[in-house]
Amino acid sequence: MQEVERTPADDGHAAGLVAVTAVLALSACGGGGESSGSPSPGAGNAGPPPIPPTPIPPPPAAGPAPPPPRDVIPSTDAEAARFVLQAQFSVSDADITALRSAGVLAWLNARYSEPAGQTGVAWLDSRGHNAITEERRYRAHEYGDHMIWNQLIAGPDQMRKRMALALSEMFVVSSTPFTSLYPSCLIAAYWDVLTAHAFGNFRQLLEALTLNAAMGSFLNTRGNLREDSRGRQPDENYAREVMQLFTIGLYELNADGTHKSGADNKPVETYGQADVTNLARVFTGYDNDTVSNGGTTTTVSWERNPVPSTHLATNPMRFIASRHSTAEVNFLGTKITGTTPGQDALHIALDRLFYHDNTGPFFARQMIQRLVTSNPSPAYVQRVATVFGNNGAGVRGDLKAVWTAILTDEEARAMPAAADTMFGKMREPIVRFVQFARTVEAASTSGAYAIGDLSEPDTLLGQSPLRSPSVFNFFRPGYVPPNTAIAAAGKVAPEFQLHNETSTSGYINFMQRVTRNGLGDVRPAYSTLLPFAHDVPAVIDWLDLRLTANQLSSQTRAVLTTALATFNITAQSSDSARLDMLATACFLVMISPDYLVQK
Amino acid sequence: MSLWTRRLVLQRAMHLSAMGVATPLAINLAAFGEAAAFDATDYKALVCVFMYGGNDHANTVVPYDPANYALYHQIRAGAAGEDAAGIALARADLAATALTPLDGAVLTDNLQFALAPQLTGLKSLFDAGRVAIQLNVGPLVQPTTLAQYRSSNRAANPLPPKLFSHNDQQSVWQSDGSEGSTNGWGGRLGDIALSSNSANAQLTCISASSNAVFVAGRDALQYQISGSGAIRVSALGGALRNAVNAIVTRQSSHVLENECAAVTRRSIELESTVNTALGGVTLTTAFPANNPLARQMRVVARLIGANATLGVKRQVFFVSLGGFDNHNSLMADHQRLMTRIDGAMSAFYAATVELGVADKVTTFTASDFGRTLSSNSDGSDHGWGSHHFVMGGAVRGGRFYGTAPHVSTETDDQVGQGRLLPSTAVDQFGATLAQWFGCSPSELPGILPNIGNFPSNTLAFL
Repeated sequence: MQEVERTPADDGHAAGLVAVTAVLALSACGGGGESSGSPSPGAGNAGPPPIPPTPIPPPPAAGPAPPPPRDVIPSTDAEAARFVLQAQFSVSDADITALRSAGVLAWLNARYSEPAGQTGVAWLDSRGHNAITEERRYRAHEYGDHMIWNQLIAGPDQMRKRMALALSEMFVVSSTPFTSLYPSCLIAAYWDVLTAHAFGNFRQLLEALTLNAAMGSFLNTRGNLREDSRGRQPDENYAREVMQLFTIGLYELNADGTHKSGADNKPVETYGQADVTNLARVFTGYDNDTVSNGGTTTTVSWERNPVPSTHLATNPMRFIASRHSTAEVNFLGTKITGTTPGQDALHIALDRLFYHDNTGPFFARQMIQRLVTSNPSPAYVQRVATVFGNNGAGVRGDLKAVWTAILTDEEARAMPAAADTMFGKMREPIVRFVQFARTVEAASTSGAYAIGDLSEPDTLLGQSPLRSPSVFNFFRPGYVPPNTAIAAAGKVAPEFQLHNETSTSGYINFMQRVTRNGLGDVRPAYSTLLPFAHDVPAVIDWLDLRLTANQLSSQTRAVLTTALATFNITAQSSDSARLDMLATACFLVMISPDYLVQK
Repeated sequence: MSLWTRRLVLQRAMHLSAMGVATPLAINLAAFGEAAAFDATDYKALVCVFMYGGNDHANTVVPYDPANYALYHQIRAGAAGEDAAGIALARADLAATALTPLDGAVLTDNLQFALAPQLTGLKSLFDAGRVAIQLNVGPLVQPTTLAQYRSSNRAANPLPPKLFSHNDQQSVWQSDGSEGSTNGWGGRLGDIALSSNSANAQLTCISASSNAVFVAGRDALQYQISGSGAIRVSALGGALRNAVNAIVTRQSSHVLENECAAVTRRSIELESTVNTALGGVTLTTAFPANNPLARQMRVVARLIGANATLGVKRQVFFVSLGGFDNHNSLMADHQRLMTRIDGAMSAFYAATVELGVADKVTTFTASDFGRTLSSNSDGSDHGWGSHHFVMGGAVRGGRFYGTAPHVSTETDDQVGQGRLLPSTAVDQFGATLAQWFGCSPSELPGILPNIGNFPSNTLAFL
């Protein structure tokens, strides 16, 4: 066995080996491809000795064990609601009761042990959207939008969905550019990877999304060919973005997520162009797999070529050794010889990224930003990154442990002091809309959830799930809104990248419509509120708790009180009149900065 | 008081007003009216057309003469020939857009270029002397040779941060700094124009695209407008108007809440000003439908048409088109993009002619980076230098500027796989536009910080 170079990134850890790689080898994709066993050595020729394949190195030692997660029993309904609104889209009475009696760890563990809801692909199947009929829905993008809105609004396992949405904004795939068959099924299968691994392990998630057909299409691993003698080079897209965006980022990080400084006092870059060019070789040789796991094709009169089954979208990409680069790979101090079987090379490369010292703090900081606050303290990032490095049982990358660490951290749980005028984050439009729909019991009467792409900011929501304009997400974790007190304080506010003169007014108009009428047949019921709509203070209290965790200002509550009184709802008022008033109440709360900034 | 000092005073005053609350900018500006930055008696606008994703320059401005085309085809198709193959365009398809410089200049290796076949409008404008092409321009800290690029002595040979990374190079092109920068050179030009626009200073820097650092100044705010104009809040016209207004504009001690509301306040305050002014503009030039760039450029043309109504003398605009990261399906996707670029830019130029401001409006293209000349089988990868267009009545068009790179993956004007090592800096490109806009040479370092490192701060295209 060849000795594998150790890099500084692998040093300095304390005890305990992790068995993740072995687990991975078992779990990695049913999606076919050749065996990853060692090739037979070249026979009998004179000349230089054959270059042996690089073996998969054993995993490095786990990081230091963190203290056990903190349990907290909320002392008020508002504290309970605030916790739930960081962890998922909406909060119910049952959530509040459970939290106040048994605490946050019990609540989280209940979520982790809930069965996963119906998958996106299964939902598309159930609606006939994948059927090979002359209607050709299998070529349409819109059902992918219906799928994701159904998942977010109606999925029974909403914490899993919330975390998957957060993951979808770091590991970005958009269905917009798909031109092949099954654009809706492709994005659904990608979403299903995120939900399947949301309570799993980062390393398995990383491999599953790398081999996913939608990701392959989005970042061009699908069809990526080895170099040839005529000057063709491997496609570098995935190699670059898997490092820059999915794992290690651009600059060397300290354990608390702050930049390391080099000799010149500048940040130290994690990789250069040569690392990208080298790593690109690892991602050659992959293509769609339409045959494994029972994939079939159907010949139909209206298509020139036989139509493959949805396995095109749901099977991981297959590996084709003849298309795989045989050039040696040197990246981030790791060498992978050209004779290394492609799937071993993939394991080694993904392990290198997974075990990089940056990956924990890089991931931890962005997930804290998605769920809790735009500007977490370095200590908060470090506490979560430590749990990423070791869940307490010696396992690196345990996502359940990461979510628990983020949500139970003292910085997330302490009620923000009035003096802390920077804590929190702007709620992004998708989260606002899903919270609205779940809170006021909106549902699609037909079950179609025919809500399309809501990206347009003039008249729609200004953001739509799985429709990011690029792999750089709707907003960047480092976005600084210019000419603001946020910038003056040296802070970031990612969601503000979507906030401008057009989108703010477009959102207000959109919410005025949907709070009363919904979208299509997805109509708000207000069924809990309807019976006591004549009690204006109770209505305000109810919405304040469930939409903002009682973070409405006294001024906004006063304006609401005055405005809602003009509806003169009495015990005798019609449902229609009640709905007018309740929609207005919901609208006014949801356009207030008090609501728009989750604190 | 010198011009520069007066501007600094003005900037500080405006900074204070920005930190305070609720005082309309125009009032503060009136107090400092004496500090007029420009003796701006006429109107001028700069328009940045940003191609998000990194435009494939080699299929935009394409080698056409037989010898150089042969090199291009060999590299992009992996074989000799003149037919479309790999990611090489067919030579015959370039005949109609082949360019003959008006000044008869001879380029590197006797290169003759043609435009992408879809760029027929830009070809006509080139022939008419209204479009110039800046060759191989990109971010540089100082003039840089291949040896200096490869040097391990970065202190002596500094490079722009995070070359080849999309988001960072977008930011570097727009602002001179990587992601997280809070002001761009368009916005910094806006800063020195604010006092010339005192009637509506908040309409100095405008994005018709999404938020872009290019049009954020140290003091100048980005105003964002949709293709349909300013968005009116419907509820402000109904029974709920008082409640809605009170709620969405409420000032707060919480910084994020307050900044959230500040944007809404600005949207509401400017909506009727903007829409009323737009309503007074007649523009008959047809813009292509189903072209998101054309939709943005049309509203920019209408805003320019309203400049007298709005009382603005200098404006900087930002528009964009996405989808240029053609690692894959380059041949099909890039053609569609070129069609959109050509349709939108041609219509926009025609609109400025109709409005009688063709020589008052200069439009230029920019992008994350150029791409590799090498193929990855059906696309190209991230590069550095690129070719860009400058369009307008004031442009000395029909000519090429800068140095044409060899058609090669081996020469010392590229850093591998044909990723161009820029021979002209973005700072030089921007400084030329800035001086046309009215910025004095002594002010350039405040706008384009690396300009002092280059032998010339003016390229000849304006």
